[in-house]
Amino acid sequence: MLKLKNVEECFYPETLEEAIAILREKGDKAKVVGGGLHLTVFPNPQVQYFIFLDNLGLNYVREENGTVSIGATVTINNAAKSDLIKGFFNGNLSSALSLIASELLRNQITFGGSVAQREPYSDITTILLALDTEVVYFDGSEHTEKIDEFFETDFRAKLKEAIIKEVRFKKFDSSYKFGMERHVRNATDIALLNMAMLAQIEENKIKDIIVSYGSRPMPAIRFKALEDFLKGKDLNEAVKEVYSFAKENADVKGDIRRDEQYRRELTGVFAKRLLESFGR
Amino acid sequence: MKVHYKINGKDYEFDIHPGKVLLDILRENGFTEVKGNCYMGTCGACTVLINGTPKTSCTVLAAQVNGAEITTVKGLGDILNPHPLQKAFVEKGAVQCGYCTPGTILAAYALLKENSNPTDEDIKKAIDGNLCRCTGYVQQVEAIKYAITLLKEGK
Repeated sequence: MLKLKNVEECFYPETLEEAIAILREKGDKAKVVGGGLHLTVFPNPQVQYFIFLDNLGLNYVREENGTVSIGATVTINNAAKSDLIKGFFNGNLSSALSLIASELLRNQITFGGSVAQREPYSDITTILLALDTEVVYFDGSEHTEKIDEFFETDFRAKLKEAIIKEVRFKKFDSSYKFGMERHVRNATDIALLNMAMLAQIEENKIKDIIVSYGSRPMPAIRFKALEDFLKGKDLNEAVKEVYSFAKENADVKGDIRRDEQYRRELTGVFAKRLLESFGR
Repeated sequence: MKVHYKINGKDYEFDIHPGKVLLDILRENGFTEVKGNCYMGTCGACTVLINGTPKTSCTVLAAQVNGAEITTVKGLGDILNPHPLQKAFVEKGAVQCGYCTPGTILAAYALLKENSNPTDEDIKKAIDGNLCRCTGYVQQVEAIKYAITLLKEGK
């Protein structure tokens, strides 16, 4: 089944500079390929050139000076099974990653591809938003932006002449808790709502918190109203109050899969469950 | 364009359209044990090992894996010398129509290479991308556990 029938040539650059030069030369007819899943499942017959990222050395998960960096071509399973990621949040981050899609697709979906596509149902972008991640991209020189700010720009236009190099986040200490909830119809399906939470809890008070939710059905964003509501609260009080606030203030819509009320209810339930898990 | 793969231990060169997925290249060149079905990465029937990692060959661009080592189910064993997984799947009734079997066996093989003592949950997670309409998965999990026993006994 030949879906990409107009492809003429493939490139395997060995440096980011080389990759950018090819991307600039070929323009809209070129497609940067990380895992390649999006390209093969949603093929664009206009594509004439592939720029494969496999030889750029972006397949690393490492920690340096208190910052964790995940290269753009790292797959979900590469990250989930790495000792570094398994060591965070009592394994909760690794567990959250391990529930996304199926084992076979977790071997193909990349962090760079997930950020670049920003699919509405993406669990990766919800997780990265909660981790206050930075996106590092290269267009001849290196740029670093907070992921939520990156998504507020015309990032797709930026990526016409740039390549995502890595994502990075702080190495959080044990005062931070992380959790994720997903509503799915079966184990390997896309989420119909997802939520991730990162909270710094000290003496049972929420010192700092980031909440992100996606597949609303719109793409993932931070739930800043909920963050402001919860910051500084006693955790037990917050657990009592969060369901109503989250449900009433959720920015969600209905679609053919789930109506707005269902997603609104889920938002409240997920927020409560996640806070409850932080108290255990 | 020309691509080179090592498939089941042997070197091959194919002249391909660069827009094709690996599944089509394999089947067009006689590796029909790799089954085509959904072409979306959702059913797992087309699973192969690419440099030891199980992936759905219907979503992998053939040009992207130029130079890779590819293993199909025939690379594990044959009818005269079956791999313990192949033996176990037959003996435990985990093969009914057989269409999902090559992919599921390869996913299980990859699991056992990484973890020789998986729990039931590890097994289910490893084959969660290989859909089966026939067995209900119970026999498949039993077969994989039986294969572990056979492997430990050196059979």
